[in-house]
Amino acid sequence: MRSSSSGTLAGASTAARRLGGRAALALLPFAVLITAFLLVPTLSLIWGSFHDSKTGAFTLTNYSYLQHPLDLVPFANSLELSLASTILGSVVGLLIAQAIVSSRRPLVQEIATTFSSVAANFAGVPLAFAFIATLGANGLLTRTLLNSGIDLYSGGFKLYSVLGLTIVYAYWEIPLMVLVMLPPLQAMKPSWREAAEILGASRWRYLRSVAIPILMTPFISSLLLLYANAFGAYATAYGLTTGFVALVPIEISNLINGDVSYDPGQADALAIGLAVIMAVCIGGRAILERRSTRWLAP
Amino acid sequence: MAYDPLLSRIDELSGAFTSGQIDRRRFLKGLVGLGLSLPAIGVIVAACSSASSTATPAAATMAPSMAATMAAGSPAASGFDLTSLIAAAKAEGDIYQTGIPPEWVNYQAIFDLWKSTYGIPIDGTATEGEYSSGQELDSIKNTGKPDVGDVGIAFAVQAKTQGLSAPYKNSHWADIPDTAKDADGYWCCNYWGAQAFAINTDAVKIPIKDWKDLLDPSLKNAVGIDGDPTKANDSFFAVWSAAIANGGGIDNIQPGIDFMNQLQQSGNLTAARASDTNIISGEVKVAIKWDYLGLAVRDKAAGAPNITVTIPSSGSLASPYADIVAAKAPHPNAAKLWQELIYSDAAQLLFLGGYAHPIRFDVLNAAGKISADLAAKLPSADLYKKVTLVTDINKITAAQATLGNGWKIVINS
Repeated sequence: MRSSSSGTLAGASTAARRLGGRAALALLPFAVLITAFLLVPTLSLIWGSFHDSKTGAFTLTNYSYLQHPLDLVPFANSLELSLASTILGSVVGLLIAQAIVSSRRPLVQEIATTFSSVAANFAGVPLAFAFIATLGANGLLTRTLLNSGIDLYSGGFKLYSVLGLTIVYAYWEIPLMVLVMLPPLQAMKPSWREAAEILGASRWRYLRSVAIPILMTPFISSLLLLYANAFGAYATAYGLTTGFVALVPIEISNLINGDVSYDPGQADALAIGLAVIMAVCIGGRAILERRSTRWLAP
Repeated sequence: MAYDPLLSRIDELSGAFTSGQIDRRRFLKGLVGLGLSLPAIGVIVAACSSASSTATPAAATMAPSMAATMAAGSPAASGFDLTSLIAAAKAEGDIYQTGIPPEWVNYQAIFDLWKSTYGIPIDGTATEGEYSSGQELDSIKNTGKPDVGDVGIAFAVQAKTQGLSAPYKNSHWADIPDTAKDADGYWCCNYWGAQAFAINTDAVKIPIKDWKDLLDPSLKNAVGIDGDPTKANDSFFAVWSAAIANGGGIDNIQPGIDFMNQLQQSGNLTAARASDTNIISGEVKVAIKWDYLGLAVRDKAAGAPNITVTIPSSGSLASPYADIVAAKAPHPNAAKLWQELIYSDAAQLLFLGGYAHPIRFDVLNAAGKISADLAAKLPSADLYKKVTLVTDINKITAAQATLGNGWKIVINS
């Protein structure tokens, strides 16, 4: 076992040597890109997070937010918001994508895809205003419901809250899910189901043994995309709540933009916190994906 | 640079009126005929009326709007010779301004007044009108072109310490409160804005006079500030102003933060920003923001909804803008003449017409120079007596530091 793995490694390096400088040259643009936009920024974040913004001396105080419950609220809010909008977006998005595939009408599919790509990119201040005009304290829907006896706001609902933001985020999370899940759903061949049925598989058995294992990888990747999208979103949340709902990206922007609380070192430390959370998610995806590929293995 | 024909026509009419050739009725009709907006007419008439009633015959034979300037309240400082200053400025033939946008606080009308009175072309405003105060100082430092600039108070102080401004005391110096001018003349506040309540009276049925009224249970999700106070100056001053009615003030912002927290806990403070759209749509029913912005949105809404702007009766804080003369002004006399113009009655009334509160407001008000039409559009002059002007940079820095920590408690708890 051990010898075979070292054998493949040796084989790979021989292959690389055989390919020579030309292959390495082809990799150069990618390497430059990764260095400039991933490695260097990450290293500078790590460096900055351990140094005092004013004196430049080594310090751990930038990470003091880990000890203060009040400073962890943005993380709790961001996690809650991203999880909630990912679940809402993925469940509804998957159902819609499946419905589109099942409809088998090209026109419906085309319209749905076009709408989804527009809606998935409708964000920021215009989206915030659209929701204020609809679901705000004086919004059209709020007023209509009020006239029919349902008072959303005295019932405790607020657009300017984590719940409200979840609804707003779902506005682009759902179409995004539709867009990314349509191709794998369309790739599912009817013949696979027919084959399973001929072999006597129930509908559930087909789902469990065929459909779910195949779709697991794209589904989990989509979840991750939705999650990252919600976690990093800034403009919409800020446009809607002017910072009243503390989220990590807003907190970071306060620290690098604000006249009052300017402290890039602390912003770096918060960004590292964000990066750690994303790394955990990506690691989790890798584990899940290995399991789903094991299912697919003969 | 050619004169705007409209302006020369206004000047002609003003001249005819101040020298008694036409009566008030024909004067007004003439102005309306030129397609001017009502606020502009109000201001012109107010300026000319005071001129026609107080100007000496000698002054009336001068350029008419100049007559208004000359007749203005306080007498010129001893030894001050406006005529030779005008001559010197005209000889320089140009003035370069930085960061003075025509659409800001009625500056277009003041440019017009300058051109029609002195005939000296204005440069810089087209390209540098959008500059922030910091960029204005950079422009003064790096290009050496600007003669004058209109900057936030913190930057006026900075300009002095960096040696970017030159001392000049305009002839209305005595009218200006000590806190609003540099003792050595390196800067002088020309107008200010105060924190006010803009109330949607269609939606809010209770009278709102003071800070404590904002806690009324009927105002759930109704009260808004203009942005994140740790970022935006407008909302920062809203929080700070709230301190006045709650045992704090210019030296202590904490009671203001506590009041906002109370407002948040009561459910009255909305996260919706007190922007024009949110005020007009009724999302924010009581906006705490600068008086001039509140008055402008009231006019913009034009009754849909009805908006009333008032200054809280316990008082509020005001933040001024200041005018500086560049230390290396290429046209030093034009720069000084610009100072004379903007502190004159006519220009100060134009600021007021643009809803900026002119620094000589009390003098103009006491002399009855503010027309009834204009006064009717503004919060009462008495309420403004409780307004405190913030010009001490150290106090601003201290208040910001306190807010940085305190605001987290308001939003995170």
